[in-house]
Amino acid sequence: MSVSSAVVLAAGEGVRLRPLTRNRPKPMLPAGTRPVLEHVFDQLIDAGLGSITVVVGYRGDRIRSHFGSTYRDAELTYVEQHHQLGTAHALAVAAPVVDGPTVVVNGDQLVDRRIVEAVVAGHDASPVTLGVLERQAIGEYGGVLLENGAVSELVENPTDERPYRLNAGVYVVEPSLFETIERLEPVDGELSLVDAINALLAAGESVRGVRSDGYWLDATYPWDLLDVSRSLFDAGIVQDAVAESATVHESAVVLSPTVVDRGCEIGPGAVVGPDTCLGENVTIGSNAVVKRSVIDAETRIGPNATVDDCVTGVGVDVGHGSIVPGGPSDVRVGDRFFEGEPIGALLADRVTDRGGVTYVPGTIVGAAAEIDAGAVVHGTIPADAEVRS
Amino acid sequence: MCGIIGCADTDDVLGMLVDGLSRLEYRGYDSAGVAVTNGSLAVEKREGDLSALEDALDGTGDELRGTVGIGHTRWSTHGPPTDVNAHPHTDEDGSVAVVHNGIIENYRPLRDELSGAGCRFVSETDTEVVPHLIERERAAGADRETAFRRAIDRLEGSYAIAAVFAGCETIYAARHESPLVLGVGEGANYLASDVPAFVPYTDRVIYLDDGEFASVSPESVTVADVEGTPLDKPIETIEWDPEAVGKSGYDHYMRKEIAEQPRAIRDCLRGRVEELAASVSLPELEGLEEPSSVQLVACGTSYHAGLFGERLFQRRGIPAQTFVASEYDAGSVPVDEDTLVVAVTQSGETADTMQALRGANRAGATTLAVTNVVASSAAREAEYACYVRAGPEISVAATKSFASQQVTLSLLASALAGPQSHEFLRELRRLPDYIQAVLDRSSVRDLVGELLDADAYFFVGRGYNAPVALEGALKLKEISYRHAEGFPAGELKHGPLALVTAETPVFALVSGREHTAETIGNVKEVQARRAPVVAVTDVPETVERHAEFVLEVPETHPAVMPIVANVQLQLLAYWLANALGRPIDKPRNLAKSVTVR
Repeated sequence: MSVSSAVVLAAGEGVRLRPLTRNRPKPMLPAGTRPVLEHVFDQLIDAGLGSITVVVGYRGDRIRSHFGSTYRDAELTYVEQHHQLGTAHALAVAAPVVDGPTVVVNGDQLVDRRIVEAVVAGHDASPVTLGVLERQAIGEYGGVLLENGAVSELVENPTDERPYRLNAGVYVVEPSLFETIERLEPVDGELSLVDAINALLAAGESVRGVRSDGYWLDATYPWDLLDVSRSLFDAGIVQDAVAESATVHESAVVLSPTVVDRGCEIGPGAVVGPDTCLGENVTIGSNAVVKRSVIDAETRIGPNATVDDCVTGVGVDVGHGSIVPGGPSDVRVGDRFFEGEPIGALLADRVTDRGGVTYVPGTIVGAAAEIDAGAVVHGTIPADAEVRS
Repeated sequence: MCGIIGCADTDDVLGMLVDGLSRLEYRGYDSAGVAVTNGSLAVEKREGDLSALEDALDGTGDELRGTVGIGHTRWSTHGPPTDVNAHPHTDEDGSVAVVHNGIIENYRPLRDELSGAGCRFVSETDTEVVPHLIERERAAGADRETAFRRAIDRLEGSYAIAAVFAGCETIYAARHESPLVLGVGEGANYLASDVPAFVPYTDRVIYLDDGEFASVSPESVTVADVEGTPLDKPIETIEWDPEAVGKSGYDHYMRKEIAEQPRAIRDCLRGRVEELAASVSLPELEGLEEPSSVQLVACGTSYHAGLFGERLFQRRGIPAQTFVASEYDAGSVPVDEDTLVVAVTQSGETADTMQALRGANRAGATTLAVTNVVASSAAREAEYACYVRAGPEISVAATKSFASQQVTLSLLASALAGPQSHEFLRELRRLPDYIQAVLDRSSVRDLVGELLDADAYFFVGRGYNAPVALEGALKLKEISYRHAEGFPAGELKHGPLALVTAETPVFALVSGREHTAETIGNVKEVQARRAPVVAVTDVPETVERHAEFVLEVPETHPAVMPIVANVQLQLLAYWLANALGRPIDKPRNLAKSVTVR
């Protein structure tokens, strides 16, 4: 039986990407200038899947209002997972609208259509077939052990030295999997797809693992969005281009690769790029310099500002002459400490600085925080904070 | 007032007709019906919304199988919504079936004449005269097309009419002052009151003009003028995405359309504003000079957008006045060619607004349509047209089209009246994000529980905020059926204050930049009467001492703030109506685009 439908799991917030996820889920964060989820849909549709069910949850409105009920002629059906109780639970929420074998992917990771096609082609009567990739350093992700094309074990964040391959998070599942999910016992209050597959294996069912090539990109931490966008330029998925409705002053310079989305304005003497993505209606003031940055919609970089290695949310205001020097830097996220990450600053939605602000590399500013003119900021600033100089 | 649809196919058409009607329901929904021809003519019609018709169709057999048919969804003007008054209407022996949108003004004398000649009428509608007129011409020996034309010739008033005959594969149609578009497909052709009805089937359309006749068969679509001379009408390709007509998982179109506003405003602004160069360009208005005065004509929500536009022109030194379109009389208001008359209408088909626009054209004014529907009647009949680009709006209660109208009028005033403030343009460009911020963080849903038990709701604001106070009240009454009124805040003490009690919540729009102290003064007046006050403001710190609840919006220019504040009021109306269990997308007694006067 051929597979023509897909379920996309897009209900989770992506807590490790806070504070960027304050108003939208991880699948709606920008990869290039478009949401991660849009790239996911593109690859599914290019792989021939014309009917897509999207499981939404955290801030699901942002997904529904962005895509509507079709995307590129593919029909989108939305189901809501009211409480985020794991990936298997999310899939079970979609069960009533799924009949026959279906592709299942994560909405917050970019996967190459070739992986999807390989898994669909390799699917036989097994209750689950999954895609695996040859990768180094799987520790942060899901590991898969294979024996003769059959999966023998799935291990999350593996630490031992066995020959793991990376779980690409691309599955074809038969409806019979839903029965397994129904019987599954929650672990830490969650039903995960990995546990469901391990339960299948324990019951003696066969699970196929299909090896393939192709890109697989995941932004685990906010600064990974810079890498993801760079990889998309390299893969030719995001084109170096200036939209027709954007205005670039004749004395401004745009260095490749850079993508400038619709309605952007770049003022006189500004230098934008390389490796820079400007979302819709971004304004770059005169003589500002922006490089290696992902700047989301309606953000404004003031005149004479310098912005390197920066990720912004929407509606951010970087004032006159503010400075975001580039990484590498040491960053704290929650109780974890990261050394030498390439991040200048991370400014969540609607951060406002009043000009002349200096961001010490690695600064993370929470949504809607306001920073007085001339302040020097560092570390982590909470949402809605007011920083006085 | 209604929606009509027709389809001539080589396959069974019933499914298409019902599907098309489902996308026309916004035009009226108190009864619906279909007629299918297949040698004989079969009609099924029901009082109630489309589901009542669908239930009835489930119980029918092969008699409704056929390749040519018409359908109708009704919003009653003549005779209450009943099975009998539902369209299609037929003659006595059921050889012709007719659907009609509009009002036949001379139906009384026609009906008397036909009754006198022995015709038996079964309904109370104006429409039923049409099949009888056709049948009488047929009995006198005329062929089908001639009989149809002669019948139409007798009618006065407004109409879009389609007729099918037993044993004939052609649908005959005519239009006068009511919308009608033809869809050109592959092996099937369509007609409808509005493009969304057939947009999943074809994107190639012909817009019929007043006085034109059309014949639609599976193989061809032909259009002729009153004399019968064939016309070579252009086929236009529309860019609407059929997707935009689905609910995308929202419970209601209204909720979906509220959420679409950031996108709608981005589309509205695209290519029209250059902030760094401080310029606004509307190429569609090339040749239009700065007018000596502006008159805005509109109805309902569009009227409130007009009042907002009026203030924008006045601030730029251009005298401007807004008229309720049905009260506008270009003959008695002085107009000349230096007067710009702006017709603001979402659908571009609103009968009252069209009447006012035609009057202005006759009086020699310069006319401009501000509308959401490309190639609509308003766009075609006004000298200039400027589109608000909100995308299809299905909910009867207008939301995103209002925001887009406000933005378009902001651009219009800026384009016509020369230099504008740099800050205003900057804030317009930030507007999509400001609205998104309200959508992301509004607390209004948690508030409605506290406000359900109320005698009435009042909305007040000053300056740019006054029109939005009126709109907030209109939205609430439309969908919640609760009593609500909006006033310029200063008017409270001149009367309405007598109605203010502890049971009448007052919503006050307070800008931090204009009229702040006066508006807070008005708030204190109602607080002294123990009314619960809900402030919608961009300066919450200043206002919170004077209000029970504060709905915050981002701090912005005083002419941009009302556009954002209105989103809070839209959400208020939505969640309040939702809590009351109202049919939000289909409020009783209302229809989307009112094409009767």
